Amino acid sequence: MSDKGDVDLTGAKQNTGVWLVKVPKYLSQQWAKSSGRGEVGKLRISKQQGKAEVSFTLNEELTTIDGIGEKAALVRAPREHPFTMQTVGGQTLAVFTESSSGQSDTDGSSSGTGTGPDKIALEGVVVQRAECRPAVSDNYMRLKRLQIEESSKPVRYSQQLEKPVTTNYKPVANHANNLEYDKKKKEEGKRARADKQQVLDMLFSAFEKHQYYNIKDLVDITKQPVIYLKEILRDIGTYNVKGTHKNTWELRPEYRHYQGEEKSE
Amino acid sequence: MASLGGGGSSATEYVVRVPKNTAKKYSIMAFNAGDKVNCSTWTQARMERDMSNRRMYAEEEATEGAAGSEFGKKQREEARRKKYGIITREFKAEDQPWILKVNGKAGKRFKGQKKGGVTENASYYIFTQCPDGAFEAFPVHGWYNFTPQAKHRTLTAEEAEEEWGRRNKVVNHFSIMVQRRFREPERGDDEEEEGEKGGKKKKKGGRGGDLRIHDLEDDLEMSSDDSDSSMGEDGEGKSKKKVSDAKGKGKKKKGSKRNAAEDSDDGDFEGVEVDYMSDDTSSEEDEPEKVKPSKTEDVPKGVDEMSDSEEESEEEKQNEEETKEEEEEEEGKKTPVHMEKKKKKGEKDSSGESDTSDDSDIEGEAASALFMAKKRTPPKRGGGRGSTGSSRTGSRPGTPSIDSGSTSNTLRAAANKLEQSKRQMPPVSSETPAAKRLKMEPSPQSPQPSGKSTPQPASGKSTPSSSDVQLTEEAVRRYLIRKPMTTKDLLKKFQTKRTGLSSDQTVNVLAQILKRLNPERKNINDKMHFYLTE
Repeated sequence: MSDKGDVDLTGAKQNTGVWLVKVPKYLSQQWAKSSGRGEVGKLRISKQQGKAEVSFTLNEELTTIDGIGEKAALVRAPREHPFTMQTVGGQTLAVFTESSSGQSDTDGSSSGTGTGPDKIALEGVVVQRAECRPAVSDNYMRLKRLQIEESSKPVRYSQQLEKPVTTNYKPVANHANNLEYDKKKKEEGKRARADKQQVLDMLFSAFEKHQYYNIKDLVDITKQPVIYLKEILRDIGTYNVKGTHKNTWELRPEYRHYQGEEKSE
Repeated sequence: MASLGGGGSSATEYVVRVPKNTAKKYSIMAFNAGDKVNCSTWTQARMERDMSNRRMYAEEEATEGAAGSEFGKKQREEARRKKYGIITREFKAEDQPWILKVNGKAGKRFKGQKKGGVTENASYYIFTQCPDGAFEAFPVHGWYNFTPQAKHRTLTAEEAEEEWGRRNKVVNHFSIMVQRRFREPERGDDEEEEGEKGGKKKKKGGRGGDLRIHDLEDDLEMSSDDSDSSMGEDGEGKSKKKVSDAKGKGKKKKGSKRNAAEDSDDGDFEGVEVDYMSDDTSSEEDEPEKVKPSKTEDVPKGVDEMSDSEEESEEEKQNEEETKEEEEEEEGKKTPVHMEKKKKKGEKDSSGESDTSDDSDIEGEAASALFMAKKRTPPKRGGGRGSTGSSRTGSRPGTPSIDSGSTSNTLRAAANKLEQSKRQMPPVSSETPAAKRLKMEPSPQSPQPSGKSTPQPASGKSTPSSSDVQLTEEAVRRYLIRKPMTTKDLLKKFQTKRTGLSSDQTVNVLAQILKRLNPERKNINDKMHFYLTE
């Protein structure tokens, strides 16, 4: 097991050459449908008059397209795909792999097994670039047309309704929310003034947690009537009008003892 | 695997497989061809994600605790974001750049940034050939462009902008980085650094060090006696050049910055080389500093000539020698010829110093090339000893007689030099040294008691008859010959402080003098002016 981050350089040392091939989207979709060992087709490389010609032939069973709509069954993916070879040019391309789980790769060319998270291995260097092009045929044209039609459909569309929608809102004497609210209020009743000392205790413990409080929040916490609470607050605290903590109450400096501040009581 | 022969061309067919469940994700590592990266030469490599951007996305919880926090702040922030529709992008580890380190610490470093849009419209596959002859195709999940990272130090954006502004002036580019390194550690390290590089590079000056050779317009060589700091302090034995150098390059200051700041003042020092009176030089280094600010002040002031009130008040500050200076000022307004006359009338101290100081002073004056003398300058000059020639510059040009502090001794010499010096550009420094010299000189000078200031005022005030500034018929006559003046002007000329008389007395004496002189009258601007023709 190697340290995370170490790159396995066996591929680079062997200078394994690989090809980088650009494949059209529909073809890669077809390839994804392959079964078994994953055989998708055949690659033919021939040398004619000094030039290498590469062509790929898609397997028969993979030519069926699962598309949406009625036309799908009629259209089939083309089978012949000549490759256009290109030079690697102004870039040095290397291939590296990340493996996130401990599965070993049975193929010979890959190196290393990922036993830890994100094992990185250098597989090789790109020696040839190619583009896979479909051979032009009626099949292909139909396929393309289908694709265009699909993509040109607007995402949103308007639909006419026959009857008005009656499932959402119905007139109600009193909404459920309101009923609950009223019940809650009745239970709670009016807030009663507790002992001043008790309220002070509650306030101090609240200010221990946070420095700035809104008056509403304090009312919530202490369950005291607002006027009473404000009186008490005026004794021990100040009201912040300006600054970042606007309209908030905080304790007076002499009562404070925060870690961040360097004041003490 | 099956080979087909036919048609004269050879073709081989290979099976293409797309493995289904592979745990490995393939990505492309792209290097620029110019970087000449050869993966096979790497002995060891480490690569990991660059997580430095995580902070940007994560919300910083500055204060969880009590101090500075608000109740319900998080909820409020969230509600606010929703209200305004602010959507913060998530931090996706997958999209972060890679950091690749090759061959350990001493090797290269690369940063690999993800290239977007690769898998959108077409898929890339990696075709590798297996031992059994078949091809295997693996889809590419990401494309990263790797660029080498500089290990050497670079300038920050602000520094780069500064240097860009100076690109036409800087010749020695090595020093840019060297100085940058200086600024970071203590200044005391300068010397060490310089010791290292002294021989190799030309210094832009401004760095502390023994030998300075300037690349810039000043081709002056500064020989520093001691280390940087001493340059400013030791005043002895330094030529005036040093002043300019110090001024321009800053003894203790880092050269480049100082240089840039002082570029505009370079011209002031052109005439410095003239004077080599090393004996007389006092600590000029201080002067430049003071001089500079004062000089700039003076110049604009100097332009307003007849701002009597200003001048007068300043004079009072400086006073002492003022008596002479006052006269000189007035004459300074006129042609140098008059100046000379006045100067001759003035008292003279030891000419030795005065000469030198005069030279410097005069040069300074001429340099400014302003027209009218400023009363101001003379008084300032006089007091300038103390105030380091703040007054100097302003009034120079027109008033050769205005020798700061040299009132008595330098008058004649100043007048003589004035015409010579007019051609030269007296550097500010000259004035300052002059001023300084005057300061120091007075003490050793026997003719004048230490501190010209003291004798002068004494002489001026206590002996009305001898001082030029005194309210004499001669003085009035001179004024009136020069130009028509009102009584008010005349009174201003003979200020009570100068003449030592009270205002009443001044008025009386002036009236008597006028009766005696019987000047002609003329009405200018509805005011009665007196004048004499001779």
